[in-house]
Formats: sequence, C-alpha cells, structure tokens
Amino acid sequence: MSLLKIENLRIAFPARGGITEVVRGVNLEVHEGETVGLVGESGSGKSLSCRSIIRLLPSHAQMTANVHFDGRDVMALSRKAIRDHRAHNVGMIFQDPFSCFNPTKRIGEQVAETLRVNAGMDKSAARARAIELLASVEIDRPEQRYRAFPHELSGGMRQRVMIAIAISAGPRLLIADEPTTALDVTTQAQILKLIEQRRRDLNMAVLLVSHDFGVIAQACQRVAVMYGGYVVEAGPVDEICARPQHPYTRALLESIPSLESAGHHVRRAGIPGQPPTAGEIGPGCPFANRCAFARPECAGVDMSLEVVGDAHATACPFVRTVSATSEAGGA
Amino acid sequence: MSDLAARPLMKRRRIARLWRSFRRAQNWELSTGLVIIVIMVVAALLAPYIAPYHPNQINIVDSLQGPSWHHWMGTDFVGRDVFSRVLYGLRVDLLVVAVITYLGLIVGVTLGTISGYIGGWLDAVIGRVADTVIAFPFIVLVLAVVAIVGPGLKGVGIGIVIVGWALYFRLSRSEMLVMREQPFIMATKALGYSHLRAIFRHALPNLIRTSLVYSTVDVVVNMLVIAGLSYLGLGQQAPGADLGSIIASGQSYLLSAWWITTIPGVVLMLFGIGVSLIGDGITRGDLTLGSL
Repeated sequence: MSLLKIENLRIAFPARGGITEVVRGVNLEVHEGETVGLVGESGSGKSLSCRSIIRLLPSHAQMTANVHFDGRDVMALSRKAIRDHRAHNVGMIFQDPFSCFNPTKRIGEQVAETLRVNAGMDKSAARARAIELLASVEIDRPEQRYRAFPHELSGGMRQRVMIAIAISAGPRLLIADEPTTALDVTTQAQILKLIEQRRRDLNMAVLLVSHDFGVIAQACQRVAVMYGGYVVEAGPVDEICARPQHPYTRALLESIPSLESAGHHVRRAGIPGQPPTAGEIGPGCPFANRCAFARPECAGVDMSLEVVGDAHATACPFVRTVSATSEAGGA
Repeated sequence: MSDLAARPLMKRRRIARLWRSFRRAQNWELSTGLVIIVIMVVAALLAPYIAPYHPNQINIVDSLQGPSWHHWMGTDFVGRDVFSRVLYGLRVDLLVVAVITYLGLIVGVTLGTISGYIGGWLDAVIGRVADTVIAFPFIVLVLAVVAIVGPGLKGVGIGIVIVGWALYFRLSRSEMLVMREQPFIMATKALGYSHLRAIFRHALPNLIRTSLVYSTVDVVVNMLVIAGLSYLGLGQQAPGADLGSIIASGQSYLLSAWWITTIPGVVLMLFGIGVSLIGDGITRGDLTLGSL
C-alpha cells in the first residue's frame, strides 16, 4: 500500500503581473520501505515537490494538491497536527550540511534537542540516545563528537549528523533533498550507503532528490524525472535506464560519462540551450525548444503521463515515433 | 547519576577553558577594559565596607580639604569625604545604568526578534512605534518623562528605557530578517519545533552579539545621560550621591577645590574607557560564545 501519495500537485508564486506556476500537476507515489528517486535540473520543481509533503513552502507560495500520507490528508492537517507530522512521520535531510546547523550549539545537543522536544525524553536519556544515534551513523568516538561544534566537523560528518537528527524520531519516510551534492565523490558513496543501511534497519521509505542520475540509479528502485515543473517520465530505475522513453530522459542519460568512454576524447552530448525559467513556460511540452525530436504538435501536448510499459510512463506522446526516428538515424 | 556528580567539575573546567582562551587571545582591549570595570564594580559593591566615612557625614571643620591620607579624594564644602561619596555614587550609577540599559536590551531584542520573524502587521506596528521613538530627540523625551514622573533617578530610568529599546529592536529585527532565511532555521520547522523555540533557542544566540556590542556604547551614553541629568538636578536628589551630583556640588569651588569635580569626572571617564575597551575586545571576536 502506498505510504505517500501526491496527486496533481501545483505550486505557484505571485510574480509581476500575475502568478508563475513552478510545479504543474505532479503525481508521485512512495510505497512503504522503498527508495524513490526524483531527478531533474535546478528549477525543475523537485525540491518544492518534496517540501510540499510536510507543507514547508515559503509563505507566499500557493499550493494545491491532494497529499495523502499513510491514508491521512496532509493538506487538511491543523497547525498542531502538521508539526506532529513533521516531527514524527517525515525526516528531512537538506543539501547543504554547512548551514543547516545552529553554529552556536554543540552538535550532540542539537541531536538531543530533537529527542527532548519530539520524543519527550529527559536530559540524560536524550544524551545517551543521541550518542547511540551518532554511533549508528558511523561517527567514531561519538562521546567526544557530542561536544563538537558544527564548524569543527567535515561536510560528510555533518551530513551524517543531519541523518542522525532526521531518523531520530523513527520516521516512516526520509526525504533526502540532494544529500550528496555538497560532498566529494568518496563521501557521497558513503553517505548513500549509510542512507540505504538506515533505510533497511528502520524499514522506512526514502525519497531521494538529485540532479545526478548516477546517484539515483545507484540508490533507487523507482524514479520520477522532472522537467519544467512536470514529471516527464516515471518508472522502475532499471527499466528507465535501459529504455528511456522521453527525449529529456534520454538526453540526461546520454550526458553521463561512462567507463567505456574514459580515456577517449569523446565529447559528451550535452543538451543544447538552457533550462527554462518558470515564467517562460507556456502550454505544451516545456522541453520542446531543446528537444532533438521536436515537432509543431509539441506545443499542444497536455503533459499527462501515458503508460508505455510495465509501470513505466512518460509524458511524451510521440515516443513510438521518436524511438523509430532515432533508430533509423542509427546513432 | 554520575552526571550530577560531574557537574561542579565541568563548571570548573569551563571557567578554566574560558580563562585559557582569554589568555591565548591576547586581547589587550578586553583585558584592560575588564580590569577597569571589575575594579569599579567591586569597589561599588563593597562601598559600605571600604568607604572610610558615611557619604553624608558632615564635618564643617574639615571642609574643602585637599587629598590626604585621611581623605583620599579630599572633602567637599561641608566636609563630606569625596572618596566615600564617589564610591556610593558609583554604586547608584552602576546599578541604575545596568538595569536600564539591559532592560532596554531585553525589551528591544525580544520585540525585534519576534517582529522580524513573524513580520506582517505586527512588524509594521512595532516598527512604526520604534521609528517614532527614534525620531524624537533623545534628551527631550527623557526630560518629558522626568517632568511627568518627577525629578529623581526613577524618572530618568523610565525615560531612558522608553527610548533605549528602539535601537535594540531595529538591530535585532534586521538581523532576524537575515536569520529567518537561514537553512538551520528552516530545519527547525522541518523538525516540527515551535516558533518560540526557533526564535529564542536557535536564532537569538546567533544574533545577540550585535546588540551586546551596541550595549557597550549604550551603557556609556546612558551613564553620561544619568550623570548629566543629575548634574542638572533632575536625577539623583540631594543629599544622595551620584557622580553627576558630586560634580555639580563642586562646581562653585572649581578653582579652590579642584578635587571635588575632577576626581568624579575622571572616574566617569575611566568607566567610559573601560566599557568601550570591552566592546572593542568582544568585536575582535577571538572569544566565542561557545567558550562560555
């Protein structure tokens, strides 16, 4: 059964002369205990989509959606209930481990604070549990680290502490918003492994946001690809990596360097042009002006997902013909 | 638990650590300032024990005596011991200046952080009140309050607090506008913390430093205002002693008995220098709040 179900999520901001829609009808489902990826360029609406799960949007954002968490309507929760929801059901890890800690408080105290506020533990119990949590995210000598200030830890360590805080309440869903973007590649792999380990031990679901398809492919079972505020393709990771249907997904996958190309001077095929800003997107497919297979009809596409295979869906209605052309082109 | 037994030890270790970071910092501004202010505060606190005479004890025979072993700072026109009067005056002035400055700071910072965090109409209302207070000439407003409450340190104190909070409000409000957008404040929301916790536990410790540094300027200004109004007869009332009133009482004897006005004046000046040095020392930032 699905743990999280987002239907027709729309988020808009007031802008000069009206409003600008930045998320345009996103559907997303996360099942109990699975890892779902959300991939897309900056500005594609992926971070906002995740924040909508705990209704943590800027105050001037206008959001409409059906969000159900474990069968409960998140949009209908009272102020008190939404705080409870944030505290107990959903843990969140942010992109930048450098600015997500209070610089004036010891990191151990910041972990313990969560336990005291959200789990109602007393001071010494929270301290003991915080040290356990620090150990569980593989921080060595947790008793000493407890007294460290955020600036005394490396980025990877801070990200571990952030994970410790996020999982402290035993959440059902962990939202990891670009958890590895600010880290170097070795640390990145360790953090992903740690998230995966914690996911298995605690039997929680993970929603992993990234702009790096490599990270997603490594960590997730299912993936949704976002572009310009739409989900353009969704399905099992293996299936999408093997048979990408939407031209954007293809271009994205093609732009990842592979081991075979290492050492050869092969120019990676990038995607021409710039990602559109939210204000520029009109009706139809937002990718049309950068798409190698664009045609006049693209301006009239309604961007709803059409099933093309086993749990695999895409917003591009011309996939059959696109595949045909690209094979005929013999690239 | 063992935690309890360890507490006094931890406290001692903390003080030791603060002392070490203090020595390591080689912050001469801070050390000099602290030495001056600590001596003054201790002298003021111990005034009843170290003052050789009662501050109001009249001894006409010994009037207008210069500094000597019996009267370190001489005597005034009715033979009162100036040293004792300065000690007691300092006691009154330090108490009043500390209370009103930090009362203003507490009110201003509390309103400023809440107002900056919440924004909207609340912010607009408090902000306009603060603007009005700041737009008024400082001394005139204090004098108006003194006129209503009546002469005395109470009126002066109320007047200064009514004016003083506004600048702390502005400082902490603008810092809060920046702080509010910091990821770690958003993280408090993602963790389901209350707004009050976000404001006072997380934002406040990160923005209080500006206000604390400003308060070292404010303390000096307030000290001068109190002394000034007492000098004009609107603050401390006779026969009570305060630096301003002692200076005023010696004014007519300036040429024959310089010590009555000069010495309390020097004390006032030293206080200003000491507090400013502490402020400079804190801004140098070698000492972190964490080492406290």
